[in-house]
Amino acid sequence: MSVPADLRFTKEHEWVRIEGDTATFGISDHAQEALGDIVFVELPEVGRSIDAGEAYGVVESVKAVSDVYAPVAGEVIEINEALESEADLVNSDAYGAGWIIKVKISDNNAETELMNADEYTTFLEE
Amino acid sequence: MSDLLKTPLFDAHVAAGGKIVPFAGYELPVQYSNRALKEYTAVREGAAGIFDITHMGQVRVEGVDALKFLQYVTTNDVSKLVDGQVQYSALLNEQGTFIDDITTYKINDEAYYLCINAANRHKDVAHLLKEAANFDVTVTDESDETTLLALQGAKAQAALQTIVGFDLEAIGYYKFARGQISSAGGIVSRTGYTGEDGFEIYIPNSIAVDVWNALVEQGAVPIGLAARDMLRTEMGYALYGHEISDAVTPVEAKLMWITKMDKGDFIGKQAVETRKAEGAQKRLIALKLTGRGIPREHYKVFVDGVESGEVTSGMHSPLAGGGVAVAYVKPEHVTEGSLTVEIRGKQIEAERTKTPFVRSNVRR
Repeated sequence: MSVPADLRFTKEHEWVRIEGDTATFGISDHAQEALGDIVFVELPEVGRSIDAGEAYGVVESVKAVSDVYAPVAGEVIEINEALESEADLVNSDAYGAGWIIKVKISDNNAETELMNADEYTTFLEE
Repeated sequence: MSDLLKTPLFDAHVAAGGKIVPFAGYELPVQYSNRALKEYTAVREGAAGIFDITHMGQVRVEGVDALKFLQYVTTNDVSKLVDGQVQYSALLNEQGTFIDDITTYKINDEAYYLCINAANRHKDVAHLLKEAANFDVTVTDESDETTLLALQGAKAQAALQTIVGFDLEAIGYYKFARGQISSAGGIVSRTGYTGEDGFEIYIPNSIAVDVWNALVEQGAVPIGLAARDMLRTEMGYALYGHEISDAVTPVEAKLMWITKMDKGDFIGKQAVETRKAEGAQKRLIALKLTGRGIPREHYKVFVDGVESGEVTSGMHSPLAGGGVAVAYVKPEHVTEGSLTVEIRGKQIEAERTKTPFVRSNVRR
């Protein structure tokens, strides 16, 4: 299972890509595989402030409803509107077209513990 | 998990990538390779799906009083059945509420076959045996010896015809035939729980694996419980424990069409008559979300901002293009008032619709 080297991961199987003061969130390939076919994604509103570790949206598969949690704190600046009609992008391209939201990172230090790709790979094997 | 039962096809499910879960006392596949939507699509869009529904029970009823007995313990009019016909029906208790919903197969005037729900099997059999004491009938639980498969979808008939020794084309909707299937004898009925053309196949356990493999070789796609539930929910078919239970009568559950009040006495008739006269306390409606979301079981339904009932079965319907559900609401809200479903604290707008939510392709 692919784990891109430029991403950081949480124990809840979210990924975050940090570029300057912007962070992009999604769920890992492992998470989408475990959830099965995703049929609905509930996105937050642009402008909402989210704490690290806070549930910011919902991913629903055929049988399950799962919250998704923010790897870092920030203010929502963009949501992936394509997911409103094509939720299965999370399955088919978890690290690319299946991204969920972008935030402007706040200087709030309450950051959850993040793993790099190697650490996450080890975590998956445990 | 040790007290859970396995069907003769357990190893075949595991080999096909089935994710095994406990269901109605059995270990059964919820989906294969985690792709329930692909399974759903195989059945809905032109292929065929094969389902292991061996967990369902089969009860043989034989004897000179067989018809009289079944008229008394089931709700539908068994006298209307011809040999080789199947009928959707129900078992009620004296309170008029559901013990189970069933199908009745008429072999001849003195021999019938009932197909019952797995979770209700022991309760049903105990009830039938108790009532049978007053009739000249024998009631035999054949569930443990019988494998039940469903083969559903446009290609079902072509696939099944390759392994049966009789003409499937001659079997009409809700009719059945007995004869050679693979290397043994069995029953094939043109019935199902998906809204597609297809069959249910009763065979001895000894040939279960052979029949399964032969049908998979013919292109049938193994279907797990998740896709099965999607297919039945899209048709609005009732499921015990959801739309029907021992807390509702046929009046609430919109199942008076299988409850024949003019056929003579039957268990629960008096209570149903009373409920009809007093009026239902709640009624089933079909709804489709106009807002975004998935209306799931137990989500609350509001009418004009006031709580009215809850969803009993709901889903994201790929074909209907959104969230659809069946729900109980107060009788006065069946046709009146503006509907919303509460999803994670938000009221999502919905409109009343009819079941099936998508076109049925059963062969009438």
